[in-house]
Amino acid sequence: MQSSDGETPPEAPRLESADLPTAEGQETLPTYTGPGFVTNNPELASLTPAQLYELNQGLLDEAVPQRPLIDQIVPMAVLRAEYENGSASFTKQIDYLVSQSYTGIRRTRGDGDCFYRSLAFRYVERLMNAADPALAVGSAVSTLEASLPMLEAAGFQKLVFEDFYDTFVSIIKRIVQPEADGTTLTPLLLLEAFQNPEVSNSVVVYLRLLTSAQIRTDPDSYQDFLFHPELGELMTPREFCETFVEAVGKEADHVQMTALARALKINFSVAYLDGRSADGHVDFVNFNDGIQDELEPLVLLYRPGHYDILEKQSEDTVI
Amino acid sequence: MAGIASRRLQKELKEIHTQGCPVGIQLLNADNFEEWHLSLEVMGESQYQGEVFALKFRFEPQYPISAPAVQFIINEKYKAPVHPHVYSNGHICASILGNEWSPVLSVIGVCVTLQSMLASCKKKERPPDNDRYVMHAPDNPKKTRFHYHDDTV
Repeated sequence: MQSSDGETPPEAPRLESADLPTAEGQETLPTYTGPGFVTNNPELASLTPAQLYELNQGLLDEAVPQRPLIDQIVPMAVLRAEYENGSASFTKQIDYLVSQSYTGIRRTRGDGDCFYRSLAFRYVERLMNAADPALAVGSAVSTLEASLPMLEAAGFQKLVFEDFYDTFVSIIKRIVQPEADGTTLTPLLLLEAFQNPEVSNSVVVYLRLLTSAQIRTDPDSYQDFLFHPELGELMTPREFCETFVEAVGKEADHVQMTALARALKINFSVAYLDGRSADGHVDFVNFNDGIQDELEPLVLLYRPGHYDILEKQSEDTVI
Repeated sequence: MAGIASRRLQKELKEIHTQGCPVGIQLLNADNFEEWHLSLEVMGESQYQGEVFALKFRFEPQYPISAPAVQFIINEKYKAPVHPHVYSNGHICASILGNEWSPVLSVIGVCVTLQSMLASCKKKERPPDNDRYVMHAPDNPKKTRFHYHDDTV
């Protein structure tokens, strides 16, 4: 076991998403062959390559200044440039997204909360952009209000979720209800709110609890799909939710996404940029609660292990 | 507006005052929103009959989004329980305090979990790596990257 000297605690080990593409025919697990370090320290010497990799990754994470929790929109060309010296299959897929009018990407920090944070941001943003914001906000708030009994039915104490709920709902209400200083929510204030760890993480936690409550209160719909992402074993709804939904920093997978679409009564889709399409097209997977609304589409971009927001607008038009 | 930790801890404190603690758990000290002390006793038959322990909770401003730092207090009055997940310096190796922390847990929730961890213990012994860990351990157990032991111990 290691103890780090830095001020911040090491991040919890990340789980790989279960739907990561696996290279066909590849039988051996990748081993850490990167720049090793020679050491006489018996504690380090006794570590397995995987443990060394994790330790190294932890140090890198602490050393590199972190990306904001959520960032401004950057043009697709910026993303493309990152792949230009690498995989042609990725650049082809990025070109495909551009041909489908996706012009930008709004990135989130890769902290295991990226799915929930991306979804929450875009969820609020499109309420703000609705043709009739008062109507959109009213309907979103009533869906969220109606979710409170479900959280209690799932066994959560009120004191456990009410602060997170209040934070989320007050951001949404601010679209139409001015604060004490007379201002309503603007794109800039929305971005600031989601870059503030306390606010942003509170919203993420609320979405996690909502997802968990949806699964816990309707086990019949989900129990056949609650697999341990590493071991592949079926888990009980309670075990699954405690370990892979409620716990901070645990990636969402298909089950969590389906449950959250249902709980929020929204449709969204995920574009899979995985470098695995022969002709360069990108698969979009739809998570539909069957709702018809007039809101802008909510589209996330998936790259192995990470979610961002896919945009048809640019930063100039947003702010 | 008060920070998230003090808002939540205020509510937890109010609940403790109105509803009391579960059997075997007592609030010793909660004078501020940075550090609380609670006592812990395993009720009924167990390896720890007649022993009373004390837990120290330290909260960061981001609690309950970030886990509290929890350890057994060691002083003239209290000792750390001899348990395969508890080091002799009071540090605890439990996944719920690390990578499985969830804001659903509360101070009392953590105490109840640790109480049942002790209650189910079959053999009083220290973790196999106790001496090596205690020699190098940081002051704050949250800075330790624990490899969680088998839950079935």
